[in-house]
Amino acid sequence: MNRKNDNPEKEIEKEGLIKAKKLQKVFVVGGGFARSRLLAVDDVSFQVNKNEIFTLAGESGCGKTTVSKILLGFLEPTQGEVYYRDKNILELQKWEEKKQFMKEVQSIFQNPFETFNPLRKVDSYLHDTAKNFGMNGKKRDKKAVEEALQSVGLGMEEVQGRYPSEFSGGQLQRISIARALITKPSLLVADEPVSMVDASLRMSIVNLFKELRDEYSVSVLYITHDLATAYYVSDRIGIMFRGNIVEMGDVEEVLMNPKHPYTQMLKESIPEADPKKKWTERVSITELETEEYMRKGCKFAGRCPFVEEKCKDFMPEEFFVDGRMVRCWLYEK
Amino acid sequence: MDILKTENLKSYYILEMGETKKEVKAVNDVTINIHEDEIYGIAGESGCGKSTFLKTICKLVEPPLRMIGGTIYYQIDGKYVEITEIKEEDFRKLRWKYISYIPQGSMNALNPIIRIRESFKDFFTAHQKIENEERDFEEPLKKHLSALGLPVRVLKSYPHQLSGGMRQRTTIALATILKPRIIVADEPTTALDVVAQRAVIQLLKDIQKLQKNTIILVTHDMAVHANITDRIGIMYAGMFVEEARTDDIFENPLHPYTKFLIASLPKMGDKTYKPSVPGVPPSLSNLPPGCPFHPRCPYVMDICKKEIPQLVELNTEHKSACFLNSKERVE
Repeated sequence: MNRKNDNPEKEIEKEGLIKAKKLQKVFVVGGGFARSRLLAVDDVSFQVNKNEIFTLAGESGCGKTTVSKILLGFLEPTQGEVYYRDKNILELQKWEEKKQFMKEVQSIFQNPFETFNPLRKVDSYLHDTAKNFGMNGKKRDKKAVEEALQSVGLGMEEVQGRYPSEFSGGQLQRISIARALITKPSLLVADEPVSMVDASLRMSIVNLFKELRDEYSVSVLYITHDLATAYYVSDRIGIMFRGNIVEMGDVEEVLMNPKHPYTQMLKESIPEADPKKKWTERVSITELETEEYMRKGCKFAGRCPFVEEKCKDFMPEEFFVDGRMVRCWLYEK
Repeated sequence: MDILKTENLKSYYILEMGETKKEVKAVNDVTINIHEDEIYGIAGESGCGKSTFLKTICKLVEPPLRMIGGTIYYQIDGKYVEITEIKEEDFRKLRWKYISYIPQGSMNALNPIIRIRESFKDFFTAHQKIENEERDFEEPLKKHLSALGLPVRVLKSYPHQLSGGMRQRTTIALATILKPRIIVADEPTTALDVVAQRAVIQLLKDIQKLQKNTIILVTHDMAVHANITDRIGIMYAGMFVEEARTDDIFENPLHPYTKFLIASLPKMGDKTYKPSVPGVPPSLSNLPPGCPFHPRCPYVMDICKKEIPQLVELNTEHKSACFLNSKERVE
């Protein structure tokens, strides 16, 4: 369902919750003479609105995880700023302010088997979170934990006193979402939350995000390489390639009618779960990854079918076409 | 004609911890036939026994895994041979020449400190005699690589210089150089980017077309199955619960588990609500009595809790193990 058309009132609510402004992150690789700089994230600006699911999609090594770490404050950007409710999170000085930020922005990680210590009972994570974020008193803590578990479709009796090895991947991922929900956050940052979960249970996680958005007004930054679930769950999407967002806009428009040559290629290469839509064209991969990072112009120039001289030397600016942002010289006018 | 068949195959992980003995029934009474010249896909949740099944049919059973019962036949030159009766030394001659196994994460199987060419040579000499290096090794190798559309320059590279997709394709090339009749691939596309994934699938398709052999492909990604396989077997809790031609599985699934699986697949351009399979997969060491799917099944009947349904042919080439579909119930 397209929420934009169904709920015109919700349009009014659309204000930015977290804003990334011109983020850049440089990693220094190697040492001594072999030292080189790797531009993992470059000139990335976007915002996640209240009450929406925003997807950052791209292949591995495109910088999407680095962006999420910067937003969570785990990594400091080389340049750029992150604003949460109009406050620069990099300049938060007081512990109280930092704690408030951590309380409102929670994260879910890729591999649920690595999130939990195998020798620690899973419910202890839930109680610790409730205690650390000052829910005032044991009784209320317990209630908060129970409510959070309920909202992911689990009960306290299923979780109490059990170790991570006693759960399936899908269940553990739900518990890790429940843990994040205890503090009643307004934003969840989910980095590839379904890539380690089976196809049959994948939808239960994705549906949960939709429910959280619609019933609890939680925004989600969903980071994934899976365009099919991204299409299913999100409102807006940003496609990343080698450190840049190359196309960003409404998910319906970006994925159903992609403008950037990279988005077009990415969409083409996704296998569809339909035997009638088998691939007929052939692909060839020739370019090496490192060469692409080192390009000074458009990073896709080496593979782009529409490449021009200009693309090789100059990084395209952000152009706005048909209600979306495209970073490609083709749309200069 | 069938190239490989199993009858009532059972292989369990047997874990003994002092007094307690735990049996994990990873492959539980599997009878299937795999034809010549086809791509056979096996789908199912992780931990349903897909990989264990592959190991068992490749005779790679090592403790704690044990083959408890059943038979496995390979068809070698028109005759069925029971492979459990073949001695290990003789079976080694079949590996790579007759059956090749591409394990999970095989792209990390290449030795990191020698060039790819040396790796190829190592493997080659273990299975084939080289008298004249140029004629017996270099030439067929280059021919094989260019037939598969891989650049010959990979031979001069070290593994770390290649991308994941390229490494995976190199190991697949390595596993198929002696033109095996059966290729067994365990999740060859997971952990790869979409474009690299597509290239790997293309490669497997090309090999099958070129060599007219059988590929047994295990992956949990239904989109890969839709794209490459001819027939699919759906595994659940160590058993095959449904088997049919790929089109039939997607269009007309019969087993409730398969129905859920197909209905939950997200598609581009379709935002309608997709339900997921209710409940959680059972533990293989403590299976529920009767049909293993019954605790999660919305159509559960009394018989499901007592008896295990058998895989029966319902339509042409379409088998399902469910009391809802089986004829006995209709009568």
